[in-house]
Amino acid sequence: MTEKKKQQAPDRTGVEKFLSGIPGLDRVMEGGLPRCRTVLVSGETGCGKTILLHEFLYRGLHDHGEPGVFVTFEEHPDEMLANVANFKWDYEQYYRDGKLLFADFSPSHDREIETAGSYELDPVVARILSAVQKIGAKRVAIDNIGMLFSRFEDIGEIRRILFLLSDRLKEAGISTLFTAEIEEGSSQLSRHGFMEFVADGVIVLRTHVGQNQMSRSLQVRKMRGIDYRTGTVEYDISDKGMRIFPKIPVDLSVASTDFHVRRSFGVPALDEALGGGIPQGHMLLVTGNTGTGKTTLGMQFLQQGIGDGENVVWVAMEEPVPQVLKTAAAHGWDFETLVRQGRLSFVTCSLLDLSPDRLLYQIVDTVEAVGANRVVFDSVSSLESSIMSKERVREFLIQLTVYLKTRGTNCIMNYLSAESFQASSGNLLSSMATNEMRLSSIVDGIIMLRYVEREQTVMKLLNILKLRGSVHAKDIFRYEIDTGGIRLGERFNF
Amino acid sequence: MAKQQIMSKYRFKLYITGSSRRSRHAVDNVEWICKSLTDPHEYELQVIDVLQDPRQAEADNIIATPTLLKTEPQPAQRIIGDMADREGVKARLVYNEA
Repeated sequence: MTEKKKQQAPDRTGVEKFLSGIPGLDRVMEGGLPRCRTVLVSGETGCGKTILLHEFLYRGLHDHGEPGVFVTFEEHPDEMLANVANFKWDYEQYYRDGKLLFADFSPSHDREIETAGSYELDPVVARILSAVQKIGAKRVAIDNIGMLFSRFEDIGEIRRILFLLSDRLKEAGISTLFTAEIEEGSSQLSRHGFMEFVADGVIVLRTHVGQNQMSRSLQVRKMRGIDYRTGTVEYDISDKGMRIFPKIPVDLSVASTDFHVRRSFGVPALDEALGGGIPQGHMLLVTGNTGTGKTTLGMQFLQQGIGDGENVVWVAMEEPVPQVLKTAAAHGWDFETLVRQGRLSFVTCSLLDLSPDRLLYQIVDTVEAVGANRVVFDSVSSLESSIMSKERVREFLIQLTVYLKTRGTNCIMNYLSAESFQASSGNLLSSMATNEMRLSSIVDGIIMLRYVEREQTVMKLLNILKLRGSVHAKDIFRYEIDTGGIRLGERFNF
Repeated sequence: MAKQQIMSKYRFKLYITGSSRRSRHAVDNVEWICKSLTDPHEYELQVIDVLQDPRQAEADNIIATPTLLKTEPQPAQRIIGDMADREGVKARLVYNEA
């Protein structure tokens, strides 16, 4: 999803914003961070706040050529450079080129502080400003200045210096990010609850350790003078740095279906029953019990796209990827090769520590990367059986469908429906479980795949329950699954 | 005068911030300490104003002022404060010299 970089208009109170460049953050901040202000990034150990600081300077350097100063009160600069060496940044090069300066206040230099009388901490301010002037820095990152409270006893003096530093930096036209450690069990965002008081804005990072992985959340607590999106969003740290996942705004007015463009299943009778194929941009729910062939139908849909020269995406949450590959092979479709060629991409994630926003962005990234027009989402029911609440599942699906519709991408969503055999026509046509009913407002079409027992045989029946905006056959069809996939047979009569 | 022992000079750097009362007191106190510590000619005292020369302050990792650095003789020492307790500070310096 591309963002237009618009001129940063001042908010109603006249505070200008600037693009931090940290992926996702500017969107959450609705245009960027406040210029010439101080923002506190607070969190417990390991949440990634120091990385955020480094990335703040890195993006300034990389995207805008803005020199930056990193002020460290805890770790030595060499340690810090080593810590970020694994990111795909040329961060150290900027340091070597003198565009990135470290102001080193780390305790490595004093064995013990011997005090003899009263003192002032003005050198902190003087050295930082000197570094800023030396390279013409526009961004300053200050890591764990709260360490001063551990090293010096004069709390009043430390507070004075924090205010002084904040004022001086703002006067110098600097935009500053600084970190504070949240002590375990404390409700304060910094030592003595002071830093959040000095800062113009506060961002809180939290981590939650799940079974398999960590889930990370970011919340903007305050931002004097500017608007921002409230609520908590998720973020991730990869070898590219931080990635924040703003909520995809649900704007149904921009998402529409083009009924003139139809995407074929490669099953002639089905395409005909759909009025020519699925309309571009339609979301289709395929619901059925185990073994009814939902996965097969999805594969056929993708295989048709492959045949048309397109790239396709399969979101594998129900059946594991190796199983999907095997099933495809059994039907004569060489998915393994398609994966190797980059024609077919799988998106997977753990159901135990499902991060809905991260999954959403994984899908978005993959679809964007390969330019997919066809996606199979297997399955919606696995989302419901995960840790997500029903509301969260719904929110996720709405965001996903809005995004895909805006692209004109079709999505087949599988739904495992555990209903029993139905015998009478009344049951067949109206028996949709409450779950599927709830989803029906989100999707544009529903295909039902069912078993029916008749004359000592079990038959498979397909019908199109709904297809928004398009003529479709109301008939019920018998179908078979064989090597070529699903084959529609004659109409079923009672 | 014993020839086998060459006394190394005392070398001090005193960092201060501006010309506040605290800074002036610190300079007075340190000068007194220096004079009473050794022969008047055997010490070097460099007074550096952090505001005038922040780069030197950076080089010596100065966080607070006044900071007194003893660079000679070893071991190096670093004391922070106005050093109003002259005798006390002097004792610390002499003690360490052993």
